[in-house]
Amino acid sequence: MPRWLGLIVTIARKDWSLFWADRRAAAFAFLVPIVLASVFGMIFQRPAASSASLKLPILIVREEAGPLTQRVIKDLLASPRFEAREATLAEAEASVAERRPGIAIVLPRGFERLNEWTMGGAADKPQVRILHHPMCAAERPWAEGAFTEIAMKRLAREKLAGLLGRESDSAVAPPFQIEATPVAGPRPFNSFSHSFSGMTLQYLLFWGMESGLLFLRERQRGVWSRLRAAPAPLRLVLLGKAVATAGIALMQVLATFTFGYLVFDVTIGGSVVGFVLLALAICALAAATGLLVAAIGGTEARARSVCILVILGISMLGGLWMPAFMLPAWLRDVSLSLPTTWAMRGLEAVTWQGRGLLAVLPSVAVVAGFTLLFLLLALAKLREDRPRLCREN
Amino acid sequence: MATLNLQNIRLTYGDAAAVDGVSLQVHRGEIVGLLGPNGSGKSTTLAIAAGILAPHSGTVSVEGFCHKTHPEEFARHLGYVPQNHALYDELSARDNLTFFGRLYSLSGANLRRQIPRVLDAVGLADRAGDRVGTFSGGMKQRLNLAASLLHDPVLLLLDEPTAALDPVSRDALFARLTRLRDEGHAILITTHHLDEAERSCDRIAILERGRLVAAGKPRDLLQPSIAGKAVLFGQLRDPLPVFQERAVRQRLGARVELEVTGRRLRLAAETSEELGRSLAFLLAAGVVLESFRSPTGSLERVMRASPAITPEASCRVGSA
Repeated sequence: MPRWLGLIVTIARKDWSLFWADRRAAAFAFLVPIVLASVFGMIFQRPAASSASLKLPILIVREEAGPLTQRVIKDLLASPRFEAREATLAEAEASVAERRPGIAIVLPRGFERLNEWTMGGAADKPQVRILHHPMCAAERPWAEGAFTEIAMKRLAREKLAGLLGRESDSAVAPPFQIEATPVAGPRPFNSFSHSFSGMTLQYLLFWGMESGLLFLRERQRGVWSRLRAAPAPLRLVLLGKAVATAGIALMQVLATFTFGYLVFDVTIGGSVVGFVLLALAICALAAATGLLVAAIGGTEARARSVCILVILGISMLGGLWMPAFMLPAWLRDVSLSLPTTWAMRGLEAVTWQGRGLLAVLPSVAVVAGFTLLFLLLALAKLREDRPRLCREN
Repeated sequence: MATLNLQNIRLTYGDAAAVDGVSLQVHRGEIVGLLGPNGSGKSTTLAIAAGILAPHSGTVSVEGFCHKTHPEEFARHLGYVPQNHALYDELSARDNLTFFGRLYSLSGANLRRQIPRVLDAVGLADRAGDRVGTFSGGMKQRLNLAASLLHDPVLLLLDEPTAALDPVSRDALFARLTRLRDEGHAILITTHHLDEAERSCDRIAILERGRLVAAGKPRDLLQPSIAGKAVLFGQLRDPLPVFQERAVRQRLGARVELEVTGRRLRLAAETSEELGRSLAFLLAAGVVLESFRSPTGSLERVMRASPAITPEASCRVGSA
């Protein structure tokens, strides 16, 4: 074996030995992302079959009893758009305040006046109120639209019945059809694919941080001085450390996705080559992150605090916890500057979206670019830092 | 040819010179002690000698191999013992040595032969399989030394190896170093213990603010100033104003030597009793010492001889 390769293997093997020296900690490094990914997946799981008939939970309040009000309420209760039940106004206000559910539709006094409604008429309009929790801004227009559709269908049906002499559903049916087509990929969204990708990615960054902290401890113990006095070039020492970190990271990827496949049907629906390339790039990113932490971290406690903050921040912004489309548009634009965003895009593309190699390559390129940047920064900082290492001693 | 040759080395941090024009040679079969107070540049000089730091000017060579031109040969000829226990607590003594040995290209039968040899040399042969985390401080220091001996270097560089050792372990360490010297190793050791330098080093070099201020045999450097006298070195909390120094000197009389350089103080008298009385007088005159020590080991006698050093005064010395 060439001397340079022997050095890399020696350093990598030592870091592996240190990782496995604490078996429980090593086991947790594999278990935690699996547990978190499973929990997140279950929370966001929507069975594919029922996603088409997703119902909005609402409360209905009637302020006066009347035949038209009664019929509209009956239609609301039967609607496939709503999971509705009746409540008093006080009960609805209390429930909405607690977001259980977050929407209530109040049919006011005077709603019966709609019996006199004519097309194009500008009579005094009763005011239907929609009570909503501040967090349900997205659901409010949904409730508004679906209620309007149901109420107008009821009115139209009754007015046409007067003309036709009978009630006819087909007479009020829209003269067109709607077909919903998912465009992100041929496969339905799998919350487990998302959570296993996200949590794997997040924990690889945490593992990178841990390896960086291990490196910092080496510096504080003086082992780094001994390494620097040995006939081992700095670049080979760093490469050996990076290989060890990336190797363990790759094992974490394999363990997490194997569990996801066996238990939650998380599959590589797209390019397998793309997945492998992306996994390697992400593992290299974890290793480079570790070296950067060791290079600029200062003390272990300070480095840990800053890293946790940064990793949680870029995980959230990168869409690792929940889909990025839930973020405001400007924040999604900002998040394009983060490696986590691109890594997540790539993983989603090759898992539940089932896309090909070309769709993943931009993600691989961006993650590899960040890896190279982190490595160069770490190398430059560690070279420049050599006097400080001595002063620590 | 000197085994270690430092020629006019200089290293600065910003405007401050950590090492300023130091030249020093260490030959086979000798122990050289590098002395000086904290911050005088001892560890930095040693790190330069070990190739960990590159000096801004000057040259460093080991067995004729310059660090700049032959870094690998340079590193192979030296063994560096950092001040901290530079070991992995999580691994066994054998695993630690295996790792450090491989860094020096030792492998196979050669490495398997060397590990028991160095463990035996430091008296840890029976603890080879134990995790280093279970070792005492003294055992770690011995293993620290063993790790630097694996590749059988001709030059040993030790950075304050006795800093955290009890007197028995210190004596044992110096016995080992003496044996290594007798086997033909060149040894450079940093310390701020004058007594151990005097006892164990063949030559000493004294650094002061990065400059080499004296070098030679311990007897030549240390004895003239303390031969036949009780001596005390102290660190003043604040510099002594000239008028106060003059007044104190007058009161102490001609038999007592008082030297003040910045915040450093040296007091010498014919006897320990006289030194104790002088120290008590200084404290009574309002001079506050952050610390003091006697290189002749007579500090206890000095303290005992001075009834004027009250508990309050001692506290003032200790807590100032």
